[in-house]
Amino acid sequence: MDSLITAAGQALAAGDLLGALKRVALRDDPPALALRGIAMAQLGDLGRAKTLLKAAARGFGPKEAVARARCIVAEAEIAIVSRDLSWPTKALDTARATLEAHGDTLNSAHARNLGARRLLLLGRLDEAEHLLAGVDPSRLTPPARATHELVVAGIAVRRLQTGAAASAFARASEAAQATSIAALIAEVEGAAAILKTPAARLLSRGDERLLLLEDVETLLASGALVIDACRNIIRCEASAVPLASRPVLFALTRTLGEAWPGDVSRRTLLARAFGAKHVDESHRARLRVEIGRLRDELRAFANISATSDGFRLVPHGDHAVAVLAPPVDERHAAVLALLGDGEAWSSSALAIALSLSPRTVQRALEELSSEGKALPVGRGRARRWVIPPVPTFPTILLLPGPLPSD
Amino acid sequence: MKKSEAEILREYGPFPGADHVHGVTFDGRNVWFASGDKINALDPESGSTVRSIDVAAHAGTAFDGKHLFQIAEDRIQKIDPDTGRVLATIPAPGGGGDSGLAWAEGSLWVGQYRGRRIHQIDPETGTILRTIESKRVVTGVTWVDGELWHGTWEGDDSDLRHIDPETGAVLERIVMPSGTGVSGLESDGGERFFCGGGVSGTIRAVRRPKKHAP
Repeated sequence: MDSLITAAGQALAAGDLLGALKRVALRDDPPALALRGIAMAQLGDLGRAKTLLKAAARGFGPKEAVARARCIVAEAEIAIVSRDLSWPTKALDTARATLEAHGDTLNSAHARNLGARRLLLLGRLDEAEHLLAGVDPSRLTPPARATHELVVAGIAVRRLQTGAAASAFARASEAAQATSIAALIAEVEGAAAILKTPAARLLSRGDERLLLLEDVETLLASGALVIDACRNIIRCEASAVPLASRPVLFALTRTLGEAWPGDVSRRTLLARAFGAKHVDESHRARLRVEIGRLRDELRAFANISATSDGFRLVPHGDHAVAVLAPPVDERHAAVLALLGDGEAWSSSALAIALSLSPRTVQRALEELSSEGKALPVGRGRARRWVIPPVPTFPTILLLPGPLPSD
Repeated sequence: MKKSEAEILREYGPFPGADHVHGVTFDGRNVWFASGDKINALDPESGSTVRSIDVAAHAGTAFDGKHLFQIAEDRIQKIDPDTGRVLATIPAPGGGGDSGLAWAEGSLWVGQYRGRRIHQIDPETGTILRTIESKRVVTGVTWVDGELWHGTWEGDDSDLRHIDPETGAVLERIVMPSGTGVSGLESDGGERFFCGGGVSGTIRAVRRPKKHAP
């Protein structure tokens, strides 16, 4: 490496961004472009950083595969930070393989972290965990170890393993403290707060209370029949019936669950499930059909018995019934849950993360925007969405992805 | 052109507090190496560092028999090795793209890394006297027994090259093992080359081939 690149690299490592830029500002050779790109990324100019890193990667010759791979990893990091989930992951995989083949353990571990973070955002927990399994955190530098443990914690949180999440957050915090990088320490603190924030509401026997994530974990392990309105799934011990694509059946179950052990009148069921104001014979017929379908779905857990006035949920054995609802009943809760991470999302990234059509997400965003719950930033293709800076929206249970029994 | 595999005689380091080795030079007793924010003296017999001078040290290092020369950013510093004081500063010919540094025949020889060439400059003024084109990225530069040698390092491939100082033609190559880079180069005047190992933080002693009849 040459003299100014060494000097600029040293300044960058010491956090002297302007010192690094000053030394290479007028140079356009690939190492200088790469350094400028990393400095611009750290200064928050992600657009400029992306352009510089792309140019640097293009400029490195075929012998400089490692240098090029490092640029691609930096580009991938910018893509993830700016929630560009359509960024080509194949390039990241190839770069990681190159770094591994050349014994650059630190940067290849960074590449694995980034890949796992992306998979975590997409709710692909098993793949994320598989990717992380190739990293030995004890061999990482403190900043890399902190981000590694954050991803481990994120996976545990999404799987509702709060004990594992708490210890991963503790390790992340320890590593972050060792770096004395304020932004990283704050990021770990912010992420760990999820364990102390209400994640759901429990509706049981007419009662209502907020649950922490660990309470949710306890509830799911208690053997109760849980009607999970965060994900529209019915769970009991190890088995689960997803009803996300059958809103009428789910609404019926939830209404029956909220009234349990009492019964629910036909009128109430029709109002909640179909939005029916006046009840006539055709509604009754339709209710009978839907209750019949629901009996089939819930056969393994519970029966639905007819009463003089309506219907009642009767779980098999001595299982209790609990309804788990989002902390705040909210349309478009999943979109808000993702925006709740505080980053600026494009509508297409939200669509990828939620497996929804771009048009659906667009409609949700427009509605949220008219209610002041989401803010558009920028215009046209560069438009991003953020939540207005208000108390954080509890997110975790609303994010896509499987729970332990899935 | 003669080509041979490098025979590594000994490996020094990594050294505490110095994670990179940039330039290397030899003062007849100790090997001096640049490690970013200081230059350090290594006793090649014991393998331990005996002292260091706090001075910016980002690339090549050279010794003229009395002073150390050290590239830092876009300039070359002349340093008194006894006091550690910077006596003078001249501009580096590559404007900061400079890599290797050697002293010979009253001139400084400076490798320009990505410029793939070597400049001969006046050590008082920094004026460029001559430029030799090399086809490879130039890292370390050294003169020994009237032979001009330089290191190259691209990706996994690195070698030591004996070149014709007039034409730049390659006369002889010593190929380093794959993945073993040469960031700085100096001979001890005898049978050894000292090669800085860049990010590995090590210095390797490589056997210099016996001089063959011209």
